[in-house]
Parts: sequence; C-alpha cells; structure tokens
Amino acid sequence: MFNIKGFIKTSLVDWDGKITSVIFLPNCNFRCPFCHNKELVLNPNEFENISIEEIDSFLLENKDFVDGVVITGGEPTLHKNLPELCKHFKEMGLLVKIDTNGSNPEMLKHLIDQKLIDYVAMDIKAPLSNVKKYCNSTGLEEVNIENIKKSIDILRKSDIDFEFRTTVVPTLHTAEDIAEISRFVGQESKLILQNFTPRNTLNNEFTRIKPYEREELKRMAEIVKGYVKDIKVRG
Amino acid sequence: MIKMRDDGFRPKQVLIEKEADLQKDATDLSLFVRTSDEEIKKWDRNKITEALLRETDISEDAAKIIAREVEKLIFSLNIENVTAPLIRELTNAKLIEYGLEHIRRQHTRLGVPLYDAREIIINHNKENANVPHGPEATNLTLAERIKKEFALIEVFSQDVADAHMRGDIHLHDLGMIDRPYCSGQNIEYVKKFGLNLPNAISIARPAKHPEVLIEQIIKFSAALQGTFAGAIGWDAFNIFLAPYLVGVDNTRMKQLAQILIYEFAQQAVARGGQSIFSDINLYWECPKHFEDVPAIGPGGKLTGNTYSDYMDEAQRFLKALFEVYYEGDALGRPFFFPKPNVHITEKFFTTEGHEDFLYLISKVASEKGNTYYVFDRGDTAKISECCRLAFQLRESDLEDAKQPWKMRYSAMQNVTVNLPRIAYEAKGDDTRLFEILRERVELVAKAHLQKKAFISKLLNLGKNGPLALLAMELDGEPYYRMHRATFLLGMLGLNEMVQAHTGEELHESNDAFFFGLKVISTMKKLADEMEEKYGIHMPLEQTPAESTAYRLAMLDMKHYPLQATAVVKGDKNRGEIYYTNSTYMNISVPISSIERVKKDGKFHPLIEAGALTHVWLGEHKPAPESIANFVEKTFKNTQNAQIAFSPEFTSCLDCGKVVRGLNENCIYCGSDNIEGITRVTGFFSKINSWNKGKIGELKDRYRDKAI
Repeated sequence: MFNIKGFIKTSLVDWDGKITSVIFLPNCNFRCPFCHNKELVLNPNEFENISIEEIDSFLLENKDFVDGVVITGGEPTLHKNLPELCKHFKEMGLLVKIDTNGSNPEMLKHLIDQKLIDYVAMDIKAPLSNVKKYCNSTGLEEVNIENIKKSIDILRKSDIDFEFRTTVVPTLHTAEDIAEISRFVGQESKLILQNFTPRNTLNNEFTRIKPYEREELKRMAEIVKGYVKDIKVRG
Repeated sequence: MIKMRDDGFRPKQVLIEKEADLQKDATDLSLFVRTSDEEIKKWDRNKITEALLRETDISEDAAKIIAREVEKLIFSLNIENVTAPLIRELTNAKLIEYGLEHIRRQHTRLGVPLYDAREIIINHNKENANVPHGPEATNLTLAERIKKEFALIEVFSQDVADAHMRGDIHLHDLGMIDRPYCSGQNIEYVKKFGLNLPNAISIARPAKHPEVLIEQIIKFSAALQGTFAGAIGWDAFNIFLAPYLVGVDNTRMKQLAQILIYEFAQQAVARGGQSIFSDINLYWECPKHFEDVPAIGPGGKLTGNTYSDYMDEAQRFLKALFEVYYEGDALGRPFFFPKPNVHITEKFFTTEGHEDFLYLISKVASEKGNTYYVFDRGDTAKISECCRLAFQLRESDLEDAKQPWKMRYSAMQNVTVNLPRIAYEAKGDDTRLFEILRERVELVAKAHLQKKAFISKLLNLGKNGPLALLAMELDGEPYYRMHRATFLLGMLGLNEMVQAHTGEELHESNDAFFFGLKVISTMKKLADEMEEKYGIHMPLEQTPAESTAYRLAMLDMKHYPLQATAVVKGDKNRGEIYYTNSTYMNISVPISSIERVKKDGKFHPLIEAGALTHVWLGEHKPAPESIANFVEKTFKNTQNAQIAFSPEFTSCLDCGKVVRGLNENCIYCGSDNIEGITRVTGFFSKINSWNKGKIGELKDRYRDKAI
C-alpha cells in the first residue's frame, strides 16, 4: 500500500527534456521556510490517498507520451517502501526520477545500486560549510550535514544522471553562498538555481520577501560558471 | 382608420415629375428643422413626402397623407425646433399606424442614441481585445454600429437577421459587412508588382532590397486590413523572402527580422487604432509544392533558380526571427503580432538542423509563448494562409503554386451556430436535435449566399467601388478570387450542448464524448451537402468566439433560463458567463495536456479551419527540450492539427519589470499599476481589454499545476 497524496498527470517542468507524471508523497523532515508544498509537509492527512490503480491506468493509456515518473514530496526517501514504488514504475517500462533533500544517503544508495531510479534532483539548501545557514534554510535547530555531504558524494560517484538545485532566497542566500555551493559540488555536477516565489510559503513571513530579479540570478550563475559542469537558472 | 396599399416600384422618371408637382404645396411656416446636413431649415412638409418617395415604395397619395398627418402632429406640439431624426421617427410612427410596416422598414434611420455615443466616445469598447481606446477606435465602433444595423436590414433576409438577433446563430463582423472576412496570400504579389494600389498617391516599383520589400509588405498588409474584417496572413514567408537575402550577414539578418516584427507589432495606428491582425507562415523545410517553383528575386525578376536553392537564407532568416521573438519587446514582453505559424511536415524530421530549430522555437514557446506549431501530416500539400484558414491543395491550387502570386485565398464570412440552444429546443430528443442542426446549417448557408451577393455587388463596381483594392487586376484577374473563397461554418459550446442533451460534459464519459463527435461529423456532412447544393465551400472552423461565447450565453440565459443556468460556465453572480469555445472540453477541470491534445485532436480532422489546442502554461516555464518532446509526440501520436503553449505575464508599468504569472501587484515594487498579458482565444492581449465573459473564462482556466 503506497501512501500517495498527489498526482499530476502531465508535467513538462520536472525533468528537462522529458514528459513526466508527478507523484507526491507526504511528510518531510525539513521545514524550509520558503517551501511551497506546506500542506503536504504540515498536514498530509488532510489529503485523500490516491490509488496506484488510478495512476497506473493513466500511465498505461498514455505511454505514447509519458517518458517517466517523478516521485517528489514532502521527502520521498522517508518512505520505507519507496524502492517498491520505484520498482513498480520501472517494471511498467517507465523512467523514474526522485526529488530529495539528501538527508537519507542509505536509501539513495540503495535505489541507485538496485537500478531503481534514472535521475535524481537533490536540493542543496545552503553552503555546506555553514551549519547555521543550513539550519536557517531548512527551518531546523539541527541538521546532519554529514548525511547531506554523503548524498552528494554518492551521486557524484554514481553512473546515473543527477542535478543539484538551490532555491535562491534573498535574506537566506548571497552570491557568495552560491559560489561556495558551486565550488563544493564541483566539476562533475550540474547546478540549477531556482528563483524563489513569495507565495503560499511555509513561513508566512516569506511572502513579503522580494525575490531576486532574474538578471541577478543570471549574474550569480555567470560568476560560478567555471566551478561546475553546467549551471542553469530556472523559473 | 384608413388602410393604404403599397404601389410597388416606380421608374425614376415618374418620381422626378412628381417632385416638381409637390413644390406647389409647400407650406410656409415659422418652424425650424435641424437637419443632418448641419443646417437649420424652415419647416417644409414636402421634405417628408420627398424622402418617402425617394427611399420607399410608397404611393404618392399615401406619402402626401402621411406627410400631412406628421405635420399636424408636430404643429399640435407647439415647438420651435425639431430635428430631422425626430421627424423621421414620427413619420415612421405614422407609417405603423397606417399599417405600412414594409414602407417603415425601408424608411428606417440608422444611428446611435446620444447616451450610447457618449459611452462609446468616453469608455472602452471590449468586444475585441485587439482594439485599444482612442478616437480612431471609437470612430470604428460608431461606424460599425451603423453598418451592423445596415447589414441586418439590408444585406440579410429577415429570417437570417432574426436568427442572429435571437442568438440561434451568430453572424460575425456585421460591423464590417462591406468587407470579406480574412485573407491569405503570398508575398510574391508584392515582389512581382511592387506597391501599386488603386487610389494611391504614389506607386512603387518592385523592391530591390529586403528592407524595402518588408516595408512594402507591411504597407500592403495595412491596406488589406482596410478591406478585410479579420486576419491578414502570408504564406511561406521566409521561403519567398529568401532570394532577397543572398549575401546578407547574420547581423543584418537579425535587423531585418526586427524590422518585420516591430513594424507589424507597432502598427497600432491603422484601422481603429488596431494592430494589423497578422499571421506569418514559416517553414524550416522547403514545402514540396514550392521546391521547383522559379524564384523571384530583387527587382521582381526571375533569378534563374528555384526556391529550394535558397534554403540556407530562408533558414537563417527564420532563426533570426525567433531570436527576436525570444527577446520580446523593449520590456521583454511577448510580441502580440505578427503570429508566427511554424509548419511541420513529414519532411521536417528529415531536414538537416531540425533538432536545433525545434529547440529554438520551443525556447520561444516556453519563454514568450509566440510559437504556433501547425502540423501538416501526410503527403498531401496543405496550406494555412491565416489563422482561420487551412486547407488541402486541390489540383487547381497546385497549378497556381507554379505562379505563387496567384495563391490568394479568403474566407468570405464566418457564421457560428449556437449549439447549446439546439439541445434546449430538442428537449432530449435525438432526432429533433439533428433536425434542428440541419435547419441551422441551412440558415448559415443562406446567410453566406446573401453576403456573397452583397460583396459581389461591391466588387462589380470595380475600381470606382469601395473594394477597389480587391478589384485590381495586376495579374489579369481580380485580386479577390471569388471562386476560391470559403465560407466558414463555426460552432460554439459543443460541451454545453452535450451536457444539456446527455447530462454529461464531454470529458465526463466516453458516451458524451462520442456524442460530441457525432454532432461535429454531422455538421461536416451537412456542410458538404450545402457545397453540393449551393456551390459554396463551407469548411468547419473552431470559432474564436471572443465576444460570441459571452453574447450567446447571455441570450440563452434570457430566452432559456432554466436550461441555460444548468450548463452555462463562469460566475453567474458577476455576470461573467460564457459557453466553452467550439469543440473544447470544459477548461476549468483538471484534464491533463496530454489528454486534451489527444481528445481535441479527434475533432481536428473534421475541422478544416483554425483548429487549435492551447496548453496553458500559466507561470511555468518548461525546459525547451520538454516542449520539443511534447510537440514531436503530438505530431506522431495524435491527429491534432495545431498547438500553442500559452504563458501568463504581469507587466509593471511603474518599474518596467515583467514576471511570469498573473499577479495583482508587481512582486518587485508592489505597484498595482500593472498589465496582465495572456492569450484570449487565439492571440495575445492585455487582460484589461477583455470582455466580461472572457474574464470569467480566465478565472476558470485550469493550468496543469506543473506543466
């Protein structure tokens, strides 16, 4: 029994180049103040469960369009049966991508080793050298930075495709922070800078923050171009 | 009460003699009349008699009696000044009193009440989102009001006019009754003949340089806009421009693309202050039917090569064009016009460089939304001249293709059938429903024949007539090729019709969906029958229904309140109601884009003109590769004829920033001095210019959360 709380049939924005369906799993161990899926994080029980049969029926009928499934959340790696869910879709001949915050390296390694996923998008919330900043960005008292670093390492050493993502929020991140993140993830990695949108945020205060202008993000990306394999601005 | 009989028509000779007679009876009284000629004249009863005899079939005796009666009435009122319109209406009242309804109709005065004129001059007309507010625009609105009345009284028979006014059908662009609907042509005409327009002050020879050619094309488009109601389209634009681009480097190429786009986009100075509603059709590959056509180059001379020899130039120009679309205007907003229709034929996927080009146009689709992807599947040559007109080339067209300047097509008129009303009238009876559908299609054909007769009359006046431009014969035949004109049969609210008849909307069950398909294929069959019967080609079209979706919903709420309330969409309390456009499924329910593209596409082979599926992007900006992927699958896996991706923008007029999504305030400076921009029916416009029905639709519009 999979605990699925959301299903978007068609997405063109969750996996570059692919047409995907997106599956939302509940709960999260982070409380990022800028999070847009706050209901899924704070009150997941208010959502009805969506049956896997309903999802399968759409996927089977539209296999001529859908390339793969994106499993997101919440934090999907908190779910012990995530490997079964991935396997379920792999067996249907679909590609599988997961979105993660990198807090569960064991699960990540298991999924990769068992060839259950084809792509990973991992969030990097702040420079990894600065625990305080990481705590601010994740809304926690304490963050296990070592686990995050392990996940980064697992991805860099794996043979699957992946991207790191940072949602850039004024008051939380500066151009220097982005530079530091870039240096840390290094030459093997693709980094995506996502613009923050001040709407329906987990911490209400954040709706009052003016986002960086797109040009500003592009400038940040330009500065760190040499540190990473590829850098893109999204949104 | 005396009843009088109409005498029928009299020769003019008799009229003149009678006029001389009448002068003797002139009553000299000190009452003054404000005439429509900006003069104040002394009262003269004979003016009434004269007008009646000049304008109507009334007999002389009857006219005299009526005039005397009107005079009596006016004198009894004890006033010093009357206006000519008042006298006319008093005369009309007398005509009714005497049972002369037929004469009254001929004696009708067209015009607008003072209140309406004030409203029009001061407030914004929102019927067409492409019309800004200004003196030119209100001139257009006022003129259209009169021409609309003229059309309904003079051009159409009473049954057709009544059906329009009741809302059984909608006759589009009545205010432009003296023009055909839309026009699609080829720049070869301008290349070969230069700019040589009837009544022009100066005449230009065929252009020698691409800059000049582009400007001639824009001016010609503006002239055409003056004689057509709707879109002006150009076929295979980049292919035909190419011979002028030999040796042009990339910098100049981009500049040429900018000239073209900015000149079209900023021509908001022409008719009614409107931009020219313009379409340019574009190809990455050389369409088969133009491959061996001798190319016309600078100076209007044959270059000795064929069009397939200029594909390098054609492709480089195309890339430059999309770079300009990608940048947008000075604020980074999308260009509203010209609309770029990129045709994708089977040959596209085997033509070198198509991947990169597909990426580029998909980048534009994601960032600005401009790109229209038009799918021309199979081996039959197809042509899509403007947004509402696409058809497979017949044998005679392929002959024309050898002389592309001859390829001039037009839709004469667009008439839409109010489908939900048919369901209300059929009261659940299948047989009755299809009977009424037949009656309506018959009526549409009748309306088309009447418009055709009227336009033919104007065209026959030749170079001294109002449509001199369309009568010009630079290539030996009139510019307007009547024998190739089409007559559009549109539909509105299939979804609500099916809902009213079966109890389910199109998306709610397979039965409902198939019933919808049955209705449209029946319409197609009926249209084909009309072609047999009346000799007019009547393709089905997805009516853009910018104002019609609102108007017909309002009329049905009035005439069929019980049935209409149950199916009409939008916010009834705010009056923001509408019927779902053409054959679309309910736009407010979460149907994924894949399902929409597939299901909409099932209708497209039946709808030859202007079938299009929108993928509403909202604030999302997909990776171009994902869009390209979606486009290729749509071409290969569905029957869908055309798709476009529609983003939404908020443009701040204070700080000048443009962001994705529709917001109430600028997210940067907080200002509420903003403009929302997205697509209404088929083209981009500013939301503040939308009518109530479309605002209701926008609020309902479902955007795939993540698409």
